[in-house]
Amino acid sequence: MESINRLDLNIDGVSTASGGDYGKVKIDGVGTVEGDVIAEIFDSNGITKVRGNLRTGEMDSDGIIKIYGHLSAGYSVVDGNLKVIGSVKAERFKVNGVLNVGEDCEIEDLDMEGAFDVQGLLNVGKMNVRLHGKGKVKEIGGENIQVRRVRRSVWGKMVTWMLPKFSPELHTASIEGDDIDLEYTLADVVRGNRVVIGKGCNIGTVEYRTELKVYPGAKIGKEVKTGG
Amino acid sequence: MERELISKKELLDEKGISYGQLYRWKRKQLIPEEWFIRKSTFTGQETFFPKDLILSRIDKIMNMKEDLSLDELADKLSPLLPEYELRKSEFEKRNIVSQVVLQRFASSDEAATVYSFERLLYFYVVDKLLLAGEMSMEEGDQLLQTLRDHFPKFGDKPCDLVFVRKMGVSSFALLSVPSEIYYESGVKLIARLSLVECIERLKGNLI
Repeated sequence: MESINRLDLNIDGVSTASGGDYGKVKIDGVGTVEGDVIAEIFDSNGITKVRGNLRTGEMDSDGIIKIYGHLSAGYSVVDGNLKVIGSVKAERFKVNGVLNVGEDCEIEDLDMEGAFDVQGLLNVGKMNVRLHGKGKVKEIGGENIQVRRVRRSVWGKMVTWMLPKFSPELHTASIEGDDIDLEYTLADVVRGNRVVIGKGCNIGTVEYRTELKVYPGAKIGKEVKTGG
Repeated sequence: MERELISKKELLDEKGISYGQLYRWKRKQLIPEEWFIRKSTFTGQETFFPKDLILSRIDKIMNMKEDLSLDELADKLSPLLPEYELRKSEFEKRNIVSQVVLQRFASSDEAATVYSFERLLYFYVVDKLLLAGEMSMEEGDQLLQTLRDHFPKFGDKPCDLVFVRKMGVSSFALLSVPSEIYYESGVKLIARLSLVECIERLKGNLI
């Protein structure tokens, strides 16, 4: 490994910088980066655009950020709005706000509060979602999947005012995983080992291996026990 | 010929693995993206896999995951050429390739000559076909030349080696996979080798 001292990138106010290989990137205000960015730490506040791929070890984004390429991140915290045109790969991913992804997501540990729209497959190790707005994803696959709806708090009211007016529900074609625990979910198929279908769910077919719990009021078209 | 497919559900039942494991292996890139084939069936969209490839891959993962972490496994299974070099003398000692091959095709190299993984792979492929009794020594030269000229062009992309003969005249080709190939009549397909598999095997022997 060549050890070079990477430069830092700082943007204050309104400015544009070029992509490249940086140590720390810090953007305050309205910043645009043209091209691919590799950074050890990516810290943005305000309105940020990356016109390329972003690869970073650590990401902390407050405000609005749009990435035109793919995002690959280690530990990330996003407060606000993140839009990725390409795919997302991350170790730990925490979102408070709105997540928009154009392609597939592969995340080890996803902790999300707010609303989201993932056009591709969401492949997660552990997923914990608390919905304030609508969640939409083509498919979910993973190990532990938990979906909850958050009670409206004062803060919640403020967020819902920001979010598009949709009922806080998860819409997806299929969910496959080991431990699945759902609330307010609309899905064609849910397949898992241990499955809990909670309040407000409407599921076409549920396939489970060891355990199925259904709360009164949840709708299920068909229940199938598979395997041994 | 259509490749035989296995549905995701059949695969999980047959191998006794869970959805979680399958998805984790996919995230760790132990199972290539191209193997997930989406098809619509009467029950809706379903995922299928090329049967022989996925079954052998899952056996491999289950056998090796006792001793190796998933990341180490991913390195081992990655189709990329490792940055690995070996002296000729070392290589001879390890007995991965038969002496005949080294004598015939590498006699001009000194014992201290350092071979890249790519060179080792070429010897390995030639050795494999020779041992199978499918190829003559002269054709071995031809094969080495073909690999040297064209294999690097594939970069990271997987490719197959095709070896055909018609009326005693032999010919080699490299093609990117997945691809189908049809021959004129009279052509005999002697061997079709997946170089990705060769890389994996050789890696297993060396590292």
